[in-house]
Amino acid sequence: MNHSDSQNKNQVTRRSFVRLTLGWLSATFAVGASAAAAVRFLVPNVLFEPSQRFKAGKPEDFPDGSVTFMEDERIFLVRKGNTFRCMSAICTHLGCTVNRANQGYHCPCHGSVFDEQGAVKGGPAPRGLEWFLVSMSKDNRLVVDKGQRVAADKYLVL
Amino acid sequence: MKTPWLRQIWDRFARTRVGRSIFRVGLPQSNLEKSQAMVSSFLLHVQPAKVHKHALKASYSLGLGLISLYLFFILIGTGVLLMFYYVPSTEKAYDIMKDLQFVVSAGLVVRNMHRWAAHLMVLFVFLHMCRVFYTGAYKRPREFNWFIGVMLFLLTLGLSFTGYLLPWDQLAFWAITVGTNIAGYAPVIGPKIKFLMLGGNIVGQESLTRFYALHVIVLPAMALLGISVHLFRVRKDGGLSRPDESGDVVEQIPLGQLPTNKSYGLMELARGTTPQVGKNPEDEVFSWPHLVFREILLFLLVVAVVLFLAVFWNAPLEEFANPIHPPNPAKAPWYFLGLQELVSYSAFWGGVVVPGLIVTALVALPYIDRKRHGVGRWFASERVVANTIFSVCLVVAVVLTIIGTSFRGPNWGWVVPWHQSPAITEGH
Repeated sequence: MNHSDSQNKNQVTRRSFVRLTLGWLSATFAVGASAAAAVRFLVPNVLFEPSQRFKAGKPEDFPDGSVTFMEDERIFLVRKGNTFRCMSAICTHLGCTVNRANQGYHCPCHGSVFDEQGAVKGGPAPRGLEWFLVSMSKDNRLVVDKGQRVAADKYLVL
Repeated sequence: MKTPWLRQIWDRFARTRVGRSIFRVGLPQSNLEKSQAMVSSFLLHVQPAKVHKHALKASYSLGLGLISLYLFFILIGTGVLLMFYYVPSTEKAYDIMKDLQFVVSAGLVVRNMHRWAAHLMVLFVFLHMCRVFYTGAYKRPREFNWFIGVMLFLLTLGLSFTGYLLPWDQLAFWAITVGTNIAGYAPVIGPKIKFLMLGGNIVGQESLTRFYALHVIVLPAMALLGISVHLFRVRKDGGLSRPDESGDVVEQIPLGQLPTNKSYGLMELARGTTPQVGKNPEDEVFSWPHLVFREILLFLLVVAVVLFLAVFWNAPLEEFANPIHPPNPAKAPWYFLGLQELVSYSAFWGGVVVPGLIVTALVALPYIDRKRHGVGRWFASERVVANTIFSVCLVVAVVLTIIGTSFRGPNWGWVVPWHQSPAITEGH
């Protein structure tokens, strides 16, 4: 090792800079990209779950003033006069299925209580039960879209 | 004295060509052979040839770490057996549980052993942590090993939690629904983590597949690696903590300044500290037979207890998972019931903030509590403040768990465990 070399030991030469940058950049990129790809791999692109949008039935299937629990979809279909609304039966606390009570709804898991409008009356639930958009299909069926949330006072009028 | 016949057979075998090729040293007689026996065996060389007498005191360590390790071994053994039958399918899993109960020879006992060993492992890893705390054993130079230990505790909980879903019964389905929803409360990334864990929006086939992969390979592999590092560090950090070592541990010395006149300095060249200080030859005994035989005895005891539990008490299996009807009340596994009790007040505080704070405090503990006194003794009076804080947290955790387990009934309302609630008796 000659004199000038040892003097420049701590200095960054062009060669060492390129080597360092390229080396570390490519290493970081390789690890980062692999990790990102692995995480993305784990995010499913297709869900084999029931459709969020489904036909609930004919309007006349639901008597006036009724609250119908639909098991598979975990919703309540509420009819009052000629208005139709759809409320989620999934507790906003930790995802249990709420039960219809004399007044409102009760969650069996951690004791949340909701009123007729799905608003929280007691228990640990942070939000009221969700309401979903109800519409009519061309073949005269009620269509519920669980992907579209609406306000509690919004309903379908026939 | 007459040599026992078993020993005679062994001695004769160990002297043969085949015997000597397997066991380089026969049954050790001299001190030299006792050291060689430890060093020349793959299974034994993990441990030192000599151990400090204090490390063998059952009243000090209570053997809690070893018991946890043995439970892990039992879990691997029974778990691999269960894998020969189990299929992670929502349609088949539950039927296979029934087959294990009624069709497969010894299937019930194997499943029961797996269940009880899993419960016991959570308990004993926790007790081990309490022991390490109350004896101040997390202090320098063992800070990092404490951290590994905290990670192993979390891994134990993760292993137990992922295993909980596999029977695909009501208990499994709702415990995982509740558990993953708690994860969903984490700020910003919570819902994404929940989606990633479940492989979808609801607990279904994708969730079962994922939990299965985590349960049978990802988490056990991580635990095995963690346990290996944990045990390695126990040795490298100078063996089990003991009272006379406080103040003995030499400060980190730069490699160039290692004392060259002391051989122990060179032996620990890699770390630069000299944990051999304070270890006098007269304080140490040979690992063979003192340590090895104690370990074998403890292992047999642990297997016996797990087998006893498995023969007399069956692992629970409820009805087939029904996403429509949660059981009332829907409860998580017992070790999460303290958290569930907190969650019943507020999911965010109980499910995210409190557990987050607990883990952070545990990890940071050895770096906050840096005083070097009171190590190696139970409830050292110098550590009264730390011990009091820890004990209060411990009592709160235990009380919450007991409340969640025994005092919560339908709709998570209060019940008195020694009174049969009318909801349960009305069916008779």
